[in-house]
Amino acid sequence: MTTIRCDKLTKTYTVPVRDPGLLNAAKSLFHRRSRDVEAVKDVCFELAEGEIVGFLGPNGAGKTTTLKMLSGLLQPTAGQVEVLGFKPFRRQRDFLRQITLVMGNRNQLVWDIPVADSFERNRAIYRLQRPAFTDTVDMLVELLDLAQLLDKPVRNLSLGERMKCEVAAALLHRPRILFLDEPTLGLDVTMQRRIRTFVAEYNRTTGATVLLTSHYMADVEALCERVVVIHHGQLLFDGQLDDLVQSFSPHKTIVVDLETEEADLSDYAEVVHSEGNRVTLTVPKELTAATTGRLLADLPVIDLTVEDPPIEEVIERVFSQQAQVDSDSAPDASATS
Amino acid sequence: MRFLRLFIIYLRIGLLYELQYRANFWIQLGKSIMNLVVALAGVAVIYEHTTNLNGWVPAELVALLGIFVLMTGVLGVVVRPSMEKLIEDVRDGTLDFTLTKPEDAQVLVSVSQVRVWQLIDVILGPIVSIAALLHLERQVDLQQMGIFAITLLAGTAILYSFWLILATISFWFIRIENIFMIFHSLYDAARWPVTIYPGWLQAALTFLVPVTFAVTVPAEALIGRLTHDYLMLTIGLAVALLVISRLFWRIGLRQYAGASA
Amino acid sequence: MRAWFGDIYRTLFKIELAVMFQYRAAVVIWLIGLVLQPVIYLVVWLTVAETEGGRVGDFDAGSLSAYFLIMMVVNHATFSWHMWEMGYRVRSGSFNSLLVQPLHPFHRDIIQNMAYKVLSLAIVVPVTALLWWFFEPTLTPDPWMWLALGPAIALAFLVRFFFEWSLALLAFWITDTSGLNNLYMALFFFLAGRMAPISLLPTWGQTIANALPFKLMLAFPVELVMGRLTPQQVMDGFLMQILWIGLGWLTVHLVWSRASARYSAVGA
Repeated sequence: MTTIRCDKLTKTYTVPVRDPGLLNAAKSLFHRRSRDVEAVKDVCFELAEGEIVGFLGPNGAGKTTTLKMLSGLLQPTAGQVEVLGFKPFRRQRDFLRQITLVMGNRNQLVWDIPVADSFERNRAIYRLQRPAFTDTVDMLVELLDLAQLLDKPVRNLSLGERMKCEVAAALLHRPRILFLDEPTLGLDVTMQRRIRTFVAEYNRTTGATVLLTSHYMADVEALCERVVVIHHGQLLFDGQLDDLVQSFSPHKTIVVDLETEEADLSDYAEVVHSEGNRVTLTVPKELTAATTGRLLADLPVIDLTVEDPPIEEVIERVFSQQAQVDSDSAPDASATS
Repeated sequence: MRFLRLFIIYLRIGLLYELQYRANFWIQLGKSIMNLVVALAGVAVIYEHTTNLNGWVPAELVALLGIFVLMTGVLGVVVRPSMEKLIEDVRDGTLDFTLTKPEDAQVLVSVSQVRVWQLIDVILGPIVSIAALLHLERQVDLQQMGIFAITLLAGTAILYSFWLILATISFWFIRIENIFMIFHSLYDAARWPVTIYPGWLQAALTFLVPVTFAVTVPAEALIGRLTHDYLMLTIGLAVALLVISRLFWRIGLRQYAGASA
Repeated sequence: MRAWFGDIYRTLFKIELAVMFQYRAAVVIWLIGLVLQPVIYLVVWLTVAETEGGRVGDFDAGSLSAYFLIMMVVNHATFSWHMWEMGYRVRSGSFNSLLVQPLHPFHRDIIQNMAYKVLSLAIVVPVTALLWWFFEPTLTPDPWMWLALGPAIALAFLVRFFFEWSLALLAFWITDTSGLNNLYMALFFFLAGRMAPISLLPTWGQTIANALPFKLMLAFPVELVMGRLTPQQVMDGFLMQILWIGLGWLTVHLVWSRASARYSAVGA
């Protein structure tokens, strides 16, 4: 069953423009110029009940804007959006009671009072019956290990603890749809794993639909089979994660720290960057093991790491390939530009 | 002198900053004019029912009002924003950036923020006072002008020192942003000649939060009511507070530098 | 449904009280301003009365003191601050968390306001008592006036809250509403009876004040308990209050949906 549907979703902002300097500043007192920014353009996708979908893209790509439109915070400039049969923007109570938005860590919790009181507040707001509420709290406390935190004021918690409580508070009403905006941002590795495990468990237990934005590949790899990639407000890819990785990042990055400065490593692989004793190479995936072996055998290596290219690079590649495809298929390039 | 040079530099920065928000100019102009109209209307309502408020005739009260507006502007241009920023910097730990600069720290924190549009009040105030004086058809001789100027300077110095002392307290008690609100509430009482208030309030306005010296004293000087003794007291207090606040500032700095970990 | 609202109000009230208690230092500091202004104007008017042989208009020193001290208490009971905060909420995006939850922000704000009033009673009551002792006001209301005072203040609170909350909604269209807010405060200052009892304003001022709802938010309960109104005038006053509450509710209801449509949250 489709729970989320977007069709040609578009959001355009108008921003003021001003040149620097005192004279222009004075001019701007009387005359304002502005330009339009297309934050999201013609985005289309559908989510079925129970899916966990990763929503990827670099900063400023339009992820958060899209999430805000899906949760009813922003009105689309154009296009259709439907969540659980509701138009999010109308923010009807029955709609709001079935969704949750986790964005940052200062939203659900009241700063100066114990966590348990914040939970109580949500209970009242979402009109939860006490028995069901107690059960949900118990479940969340166990899954997220919150027992020690419940009577501490939020301001006394560490960032990771706060995030756990934030997520718990967001789920007290057992929503069917979870919009998670960078839920692991700024957390240490252990906490990131904890949150990821929890989301997977919650999805398994309740069958909730999860739309997760992140620019950490690790989040996505752990949770999502399907990803939607967005860049400059436009949809670039919608499909299986494996396909994305296969198609668009067929390379790995090798970073080598050597004892001495070596002249030229281009025999081994393409040199991306060379500074002092550190050389960064990029190598086709299939050749990673072989190249690594050769480097270790031939050279005085202090340290060697093999990394996936950052997701920005993958996205850039997706985008530049898309641009290539567009210009190749355009009948007359000069006429359309 | 260095202080003036720094002030002009920060003034230019403040101007550039404020010009970005074009509405601020109009808003401040509107606010100042409206505040003035409200104050004048208040005075008008009072004088519907009497001709003399504790010895002050309407025009004299308007002259006092002009001084009130002038002082509000003087404080609002640089003293208040800079001191509020100082408290913020102490709280956020960003005071360090100021302390590493090769200028006297007190000078730097005192001119760090300039709200250019408050100058509107600095211009409006004197206009109102002059208009009132003209209405009174009173002669103001040079000596009186001189005394008036001295009381203005002294009043500014007193209030600046007072604000600095308040801000310095934040080196020990960090969460005191609201302390300035007490000042604003008591400062509001300075619209009227301080002599009308009951003893306890007058004492508060003179010794607790020295607004008497900011407005009533210069106004009295302007209309020729200030006694010689009071003038000496004002000057003495100004000098004393400047010294005390500087000492307190130095102590506070040492506390801050020692405590940062 | 009604049961839920009782639950929501009770629970949120307790929580807002707890939060407000954490900020008790700030509460005390705000109260200084709230208390000081009526005292200042009381002293000014008392000075006028003294010069004019003990009376100003239809007030003497005792009734002036009564007016301003009661006005101070009523003002404290009815004031709100949300028109100053709304702009910040809109710009900072902190509205997001409010909009995603199924509770109209209006309820939250009114509950927070009431929590503040209840908490600050701890200061307001002793301070008022102290000032009462110092200024020696005269106050001799009939028993029914005491009974009518409570509802009058409660209704005054609602009239003012709806009005000011509607005003606050302008923040969704205008980036900096401080100019408008100040204009409102200036009008309120005169026309609600803060600067002076309305009968001391010039005649044309009194006419305007009687036509506008501001006096219903402040002066009306004060005049009621001071015995300056006939029972008929009191009834009329209550009716007008109810009318303005209705208008206020309608305004909030109509404008809110448009306001949240205007809301363009900042950030990527």
